[in-house]
Amino acid sequence: MTVVDIGLSNTRSVLNAFQYLGAETEVTGDPKSVLSAEVIVLPGVGSYRRAMERLWESQLSDAITTSAQENGTKILGICLGMQLLCRSGTEDGITPGLGIIPADVAVFTTPDVRAGKIPHVGFNSVRPADGSVLFEGLPQNPDFYFVHSFQMMPEGAGGTTSLCNYGIDFAAAYEHENIFPTQFHPEKSQANGLQLLKNFLEA
Amino acid sequence: MLKKRLVFTLLFSDGSFMLSRNFRLQRIGDLEWLQRNYVFSNISEAIDELVILNVSRSEPQMNQFTDMLKQLTKTCFIPVAAGGWVREANQAHQLLRSGADKVVLNTPIFGEPELIEQLAGQFGRQCLVASVDLARSATEGYEFRVAGGEKALPGSARKRLIELQDRPIGDLYLNSVDRDGTGQGYDLEVLDLLPQDFGVPVILAGGAGNANHFEAGLLDDRVDAVSTAHLLNFIGDGLHRARENLIARGIHLPVRDLDIRDLRASPRLP
Repeated sequence: MTVVDIGLSNTRSVLNAFQYLGAETEVTGDPKSVLSAEVIVLPGVGSYRRAMERLWESQLSDAITTSAQENGTKILGICLGMQLLCRSGTEDGITPGLGIIPADVAVFTTPDVRAGKIPHVGFNSVRPADGSVLFEGLPQNPDFYFVHSFQMMPEGAGGTTSLCNYGIDFAAAYEHENIFPTQFHPEKSQANGLQLLKNFLEA
Repeated sequence: MLKKRLVFTLLFSDGSFMLSRNFRLQRIGDLEWLQRNYVFSNISEAIDELVILNVSRSEPQMNQFTDMLKQLTKTCFIPVAAGGWVREANQAHQLLRSGADKVVLNTPIFGEPELIEQLAGQFGRQCLVASVDLARSATEGYEFRVAGGEKALPGSARKRLIELQDRPIGDLYLNSVDRDGTGQGYDLEVLDLLPQDFGVPVILAGGAGNANHFEAGLLDDRVDAVSTAHLLNFIGDGLHRARENLIARGIHLPVRDLDIRDLRASPRLP
């Protein structure tokens, strides 16, 4: 599996998790490697705009969309990586995304829980959607680690969307054909996360 | 539902893990000592987050710290926050490349606000943990300490915490110099210094000696997480037992149903 590195991510954590599962791993910032990858992981922390700028500058953006949409390469986006797969983000003004998922990204409206604390940070339980592949073999409402201030709007995205609640319901994970993004960090979600990554590799 | 967090904090200085009492440091053991006494390959079953701080009293070698970080986080599948002596953006980046997910900042919060802005711009505010050390003072209630607890900032701690709310930070790590390492329980009164509806998650630290202390902290609505940095109070399976205890008492901590050892590709003997 190939981890796309745009210099803003915790690539080491992602590699540690996949290596623990026995996967062969590669980190790349080269569009060619992305085009020939069997499985792509797009991790991400940081600002939407900055991440998209890095993807455009490096031409990784075209490589990822071609792989995902034309080559049918299996792709996992993590946290910001999920949001980057969407149509657009609203952090620091509207920034177009990769457009692989027909959904937009919006900031959390202040939830009426926990004094409206943003970011949403910590372990929260996910309600796996019927037919989900990612959550196979996991307990009911498994806990995953989230840390984010923005979220994918689930409306109209189609696919299989598993939800989490933080004041409102939002998309915790999405599955459609070869596209498997998660808003939470499976590489930071202990055994639940490792099981989910295993399911992704085997999907 | 969002769960509360049990956090373990490691203090590192010049190759050793340290025990701190009122911010006075005592060497306990090296990485091998830690891995042996805490079965670190399995630590993410017991805790929800790991904080690793470089508490060296003089400017340390960053590489020694990041080498340890890389080794320690290899099988640690929970969030890791690391910090201490971060004065430049590239040092923060080095930590993030070595297994940290978040960067802990203390002295620069008020000393170098432009660094905080720069890091937040680069990595997002969720990536920054503000570590705040409060000490009781005869005149002002509490003092806001920096530089390893040695220097008091002017002005009231309450006002500083209000200011902090507007800084781009993702977590507040709230420590008590007076309770640090004492095992007498948290100073819950520091929470009264926080503005109402404080919009940043709070990790309470300083003074935990047993599961009852964790419980007292976690039962407070203003607390999102509790931490212990005591290397001896929860040695062996102490953190595992404390966690089970807290869950049995109805504290909402993440539930661990699966065993990470079952998911390891080539099982090795521990």
